[in-house]
Amino acid sequence: MRVDVRALGACNRLAERGAGRAADALAELTGTDLAVEVTGTSVASGTDLAEAFAGRESVGVSVGLRGGLEGEAVLAFDPVTADSLRSLLPGGESMERSAMTEAGNIALGGFLDGWANYLGRAIDMTPPRYVEADGAAILPDGARSGDGVFLFESRLDASHADLDFAIYMLPDSDRFRDLIVGRTAAGTAEAAGTTAETDGTTPHGTAGDGAADGGRAGGGHAGGHAGDASGGTAVPYDSLSTFASLAKRGSANAADNVAMMTGLETSVDVSRLRFVPLADVPATVGTEPHAGTVFELQGSPSGYLAILFPEAAAANVAATMLPTEPDEPLGETARTALCELGNVMTSGFIDGWANVLDTAISHSPPEFVHDIGASTVSPLVAQLSERQDYGFVIDAAIETEGVQAGCHVYALPDERELAAALERLSGA
Amino acid sequence: MTRPDPSDEPDPPGTQRRVKVGVGDLAVVTDGATLTTSGLGSCVAVALSDPAEGTNGLVHAMLPTARRSDLDAPRPAKYVDSGVQTLLDELREAGASIDRLEARLVGGAEMLDLTDAVGPRNVERAEETLSAAGVPVVATDVGGGVGRTVRVRGDGDVAVRAADGFERVL
Repeated sequence: MRVDVRALGACNRLAERGAGRAADALAELTGTDLAVEVTGTSVASGTDLAEAFAGRESVGVSVGLRGGLEGEAVLAFDPVTADSLRSLLPGGESMERSAMTEAGNIALGGFLDGWANYLGRAIDMTPPRYVEADGAAILPDGARSGDGVFLFESRLDASHADLDFAIYMLPDSDRFRDLIVGRTAAGTAEAAGTTAETDGTTPHGTAGDGAADGGRAGGGHAGGHAGDASGGTAVPYDSLSTFASLAKRGSANAADNVAMMTGLETSVDVSRLRFVPLADVPATVGTEPHAGTVFELQGSPSGYLAILFPEAAAANVAATMLPTEPDEPLGETARTALCELGNVMTSGFIDGWANVLDTAISHSPPEFVHDIGASTVSPLVAQLSERQDYGFVIDAAIETEGVQAGCHVYALPDERELAAALERLSGA
Repeated sequence: MTRPDPSDEPDPPGTQRRVKVGVGDLAVVTDGATLTTSGLGSCVAVALSDPAEGTNGLVHAMLPTARRSDLDAPRPAKYVDSGVQTLLDELREAGASIDRLEARLVGGAEMLDLTDAVGPRNVERAEETLSAAGVPVVATDVGGGVGRTVRVRGDGDVAVRAADGFERVL
C-alpha cells in the first residue's frame, strides 16, 4: 500500500475539525471553554504504543464504527479529569457513568460528523461503551496487535477547568485505505478544508442527537473534486514503518551517547513518528522555558533537529558534564557542554539514516537556545512551512537516571525529500 | 525564565472568558473575553481593536506572504497578509468599524541564526498590510531575540510577557 501524504494531511484535517466539534459539544454540556491544541496521526507499531501509554490510566467512552468508516473511536480522559467532567455535567457526580457515557457519545458524534460528510456516506455508531483501562488497553481494538497502524489523536485544552481529553480513532477498512491513498472523495488538503468548512454549518446538535440514540452521525455529500494523487508525496507504507523503526534506533543511539558523555544511565522513554500540521508543533513543545540545541540537517532529507531540555533539566545535565559547579546554571560553560552533548546526540540520532536510506546526511554546528520551547521551534516550523503544511515529526523523550534531566528530540524532515528517500528505500 | 506561562494555567472560575489562539490561527471576540497566544518566536501577532464597539481580534501568523496557490487554503492565518485580511473581514462582520480599528504588533523575533530572518519580514508585511487597509499601528513590541506571550484584554490593551519575565502593556 502507498500512502499519499497529502491525503493523510486531509484526513488529519478532518480529525482536527472533528475534535473541534467534539470540544464544542462538551463545552456546551459543561459550560466551559475547550479548544483543540494538537491533532496528530501516529504511525506506530503495537509495541511502540504499549511503551508510549505505559503507566497511564484512562477512563473513556468507546464506540464501534460501521458504514462509511469501520473501526473504533475512543474518547479518553485521565481519572482526575473524568471526575472534573462528572462534576460539571447535568446531574453531577450522582449520574456517574451514564452521564459520562452520554457526554462521550455526543462528543464522538461531533467528531465523526465531518468524516461522514467527507466520505459522502453515513457512519453508524454502535451504542457507547464506558471503559476504564490501564496503559495502551484504552486504545481501539487492534491498535496493540498491529505491525503499524495509523492512529488519530487529538489533545484538547480547557481554560476554566482541567478537562483535557484525547480522542483516538483507529480506522480499519478498505475504504479508509482508499482515503489515505487519495482515491476516495477529495484527495487534497485544500479540498478537505473546503468540505470541512461546509460541514461547519451542520449544527452539531444533530450529530449529538443521532449519536445519543446510538444512531448515525452525519451523512451529507462528499464535497470537493476528484483527488489529485500528487506524485512525489506518495510513500510506500512499509518504508514508512521502516523509517519509524530507524527513528527509534536513532533515539536509542542518542541516549547511548548521553550516557557516554554524562556517565549516567540514559534510556529512550518514548519515540514516536507522528504526522501533524506543522503549525501544531510549537504547541506540542509547550510554553515552558527550555534550553538545548538546534541543528540544520543537510542532505536528503534535509530539515531540522531540536534537542530541548526543560530549563532546570538542562542545568542538571550540564552540571554532570562539568568538573566543577558552574557559576551560572546555564552560563557559558554550561552552554558549551550542552552544545557538545547536542552534537553527539544528533550524530547518534541520524547515524544509520544515510546507510538505510542510501543518502548522505550531515548536520550543522549546534546553535544554543534558551527560551520558551514553542518560540524556539517556531522559526524551524516557519521555514519548513514555506513548502508544506504538514510534516512527519519524530518526537523522542530521553530520560537520564539520577538527575532530573529528561529531554525531547524533535526531528522535522522535509516532507518531499523524505518521501523521495522512502521511495528509494522501498525500491532497494 | 523560571516562571511558568500564566496563559497555560486554568483560570479560576468566574473570571472572564479566555480564547486561545494557536499558531496559524485567528479569533474575534465581542463579549470582553481575553484573547491569548503563547510561544511567539519569529511569528507575529497582530491585535486589532475597535474600542468603541468592544470588538477585538487576534491573529498569530507564521510567514509573511501567501503564495497564490494558498490564497484559498484552509488556514489563511498561516500568512500575515491573508491572516490580517481575514481578521479584518471577520471584525467587520462582527460589527467593528474599520475606521476605528487600532493595531498592536508583537513578535517577529530573530530566534535563531541558522534559519532565514523570517521574523523581521513578518513584521514588515504586517505593517504594509495594515497600512494598505488604513489601520494605524498604535504600539509595537517586536524584534529582538526573545519569545513572547500575548494577552489581548477586553479593553483592547495588549499585555506582553517576554521569556525573560519582562512584562509591558501596549
